[in-house]
Amino acid sequence: MADDTVVITEDLDSYYLQMMDSITDYAVIRLDSAGTVRSWHAGAQRLTQYTATEIIGRPVALFSTMADVATGLAEANLRAAALSGRQETEGWRLRKDGTQFWASVVLTAVRNRAEQVVGFGMVVRDLTALREQSLTLRGLEQLVNSIADFEVIRFDCDGLVRSWNPGAQKLTGYASEEVIGHHISMFYTEDDARSDLLDREMASADRDGSVEAEGWRIRKDGTRFWANIVLSPIRDDHHNVVGYVKVARDLTERREQDQLVQQQRDEILELSTPVIQVWDKVLILPLIGTLNSARAARLTESLLQRIAADQAEVVILDISGVPGIDSGVAQHLLETAEAARLMGTASILSGVRPDTAQSMVHLGIELGDLHSRASLKDALQLALRLVEARSGSGDGVRA
Amino acid sequence: MRMGHDLLVTLQGDLDDVRVESVERLVTSEVARTHARGALIDVSGLDVVDSFVAQILVRLVRMVGLLGTDMAIVGIRPAVAITLVELGVNMQDVTTALDAQQGMARLRRMRADSTAGIDHDHHY
Amino acid sequence: MITTTEDPATDLLAATIVVIGGEADLLRVRSTVRAYAGQAGLGLTATTRVVTACSELARNILRYATGGQGVATIGEAAAGHSRGVQVVFTDGGPGIADLDLALRSGFSTAGGLGLGLPGSRRLVDEFAIDSAPEGGTRVAICQWRR
Repeated sequence: MADDTVVITEDLDSYYLQMMDSITDYAVIRLDSAGTVRSWHAGAQRLTQYTATEIIGRPVALFSTMADVATGLAEANLRAAALSGRQETEGWRLRKDGTQFWASVVLTAVRNRAEQVVGFGMVVRDLTALREQSLTLRGLEQLVNSIADFEVIRFDCDGLVRSWNPGAQKLTGYASEEVIGHHISMFYTEDDARSDLLDREMASADRDGSVEAEGWRIRKDGTRFWANIVLSPIRDDHHNVVGYVKVARDLTERREQDQLVQQQRDEILELSTPVIQVWDKVLILPLIGTLNSARAARLTESLLQRIAADQAEVVILDISGVPGIDSGVAQHLLETAEAARLMGTASILSGVRPDTAQSMVHLGIELGDLHSRASLKDALQLALRLVEARSGSGDGVRA
Repeated sequence: MRMGHDLLVTLQGDLDDVRVESVERLVTSEVARTHARGALIDVSGLDVVDSFVAQILVRLVRMVGLLGTDMAIVGIRPAVAITLVELGVNMQDVTTALDAQQGMARLRRMRADSTAGIDHDHHY
Repeated sequence: MITTTEDPATDLLAATIVVIGGEADLLRVRSTVRAYAGQAGLGLTATTRVVTACSELARNILRYATGGQGVATIGEAAAGHSRGVQVVFTDGGPGIADLDLALRSGFSTAGGLGLGLPGSRRLVDEFAIDSAPEGGTRVAICQWRR
């Protein structure tokens, strides 16, 4: 019958040796009181490339870099360990081939019954890779902290804010201590908070690798801003999501501008009253922007309805706002003028620029009966004359 | 209907071929009979003027012109104006006015101008 | 006047067929088209244009089709959320020998303004014509509510 509480090791030395051989990621070395290497094993060889015969009997300073040898670092570490019993350091160490590795070194003083230091235990670990990682992380952290115009923050799978940056403070008005550990919905509008917006965004980010969204967010002072947000999941080595990175910026101004542009565009296209009655019996139709068939048709319709309603006798088609006159636009203008004429109304084309006049002649565009003037002022003067000619009678004014 | 020296013809409803041709005959004979100096055709009652009807109107203006009478078409509705232009009907030689009142003023001007010996290039 | 509720050839929702044989039928075509246009919610200008185009096309039948006979199928059209009027003119007449020529602006056969095809085409949103010598002519037009 086997009793697991009592383990009897027959061959202590061989057991110890086997145990040491099984340690491959660390170097566990015994030094004497002078710092000379007294034991070696596979792990130490793996780390430093020295074989047992090459290193046993040599001083531990062999692992120090040139610079550290000059300052006597190894000896100083030993003295410190002897004094306090244990010393932990990190630094560059040398392998046999001269390459460096970033080592974690733990020195422990071994004493006899008389409390005298008889040797040291030294555990060395290669932290080169880890150091790289932490340096990269630190670099990124510094990068994030230098970004003052973007919010770059991290939150965990529960939605709690884990990091903050100057950009986030600038954007929301909150300092990091006010937000770290709080739920990210503190920045949401009431509606969004209630509607589980975060869950949906996290789900999208998980599924698609990242999610971009826009929406209102609330600052510390209660004011709103229109945010553009990109959420990306942070995954561990097993591809599990361990948190999220959020990059956000304030697009309130841009949104307002876009809306203004849209509004202006709508107003321009607003066709209920594009026609301006400037005098009794004189209408102006300011044409702005490009003139395609559909638009020309709508404008003509409005114009003719206004002619009927106002009993206009002259209409001025102002093309100063039209970028270019090609045959198509000219055709639309001529047709509009002819339709107005069928209702008894004279038309005057105004706002004709020198380059417009040039291209019209080059294109062979004939205006026929359509009057043409360079400036609105001239067109208005002509309009007045035409109206007077009609109301007076027979003074023989040739239009 | 006489208006002093002017004749007013009002067209209403949908014109078919027969009615249009009878209108032609009627107008030309009335113009001749009354020695009207001017004539107006009021088409404000017409919702639709297709190329056929437009042609009749143009012909009428020409016929009456040969009799020495000025003629203007008045009351073309906005939708009809647009349609006529898009149909491509050539109405360049036809004098037009918004309504009967403006039409009469127009006829007066045309008469005054022709008295003064001024030629009409622009049919406004 | 015959009223049906389906016409497979033209996918109409509801249709009215007008046989065109004389002037009176022209007026009937116009008023029927106007009625359907009103039902579809077309504005004044769009209505005037489609009625005018139909007047032109119906007159073509009277003038050029054999025996001056033809048929106009008038109905409501729908596509998605759009509503409109669809009219198909068919006749068994001599057909149009050169469609391209006829569709070119300013073309004239029997004097006057020719077949008025280019003009009619300009007035409507959709215009399709099928014709062959001695094979009759089919013109389908559609006008949508804007």
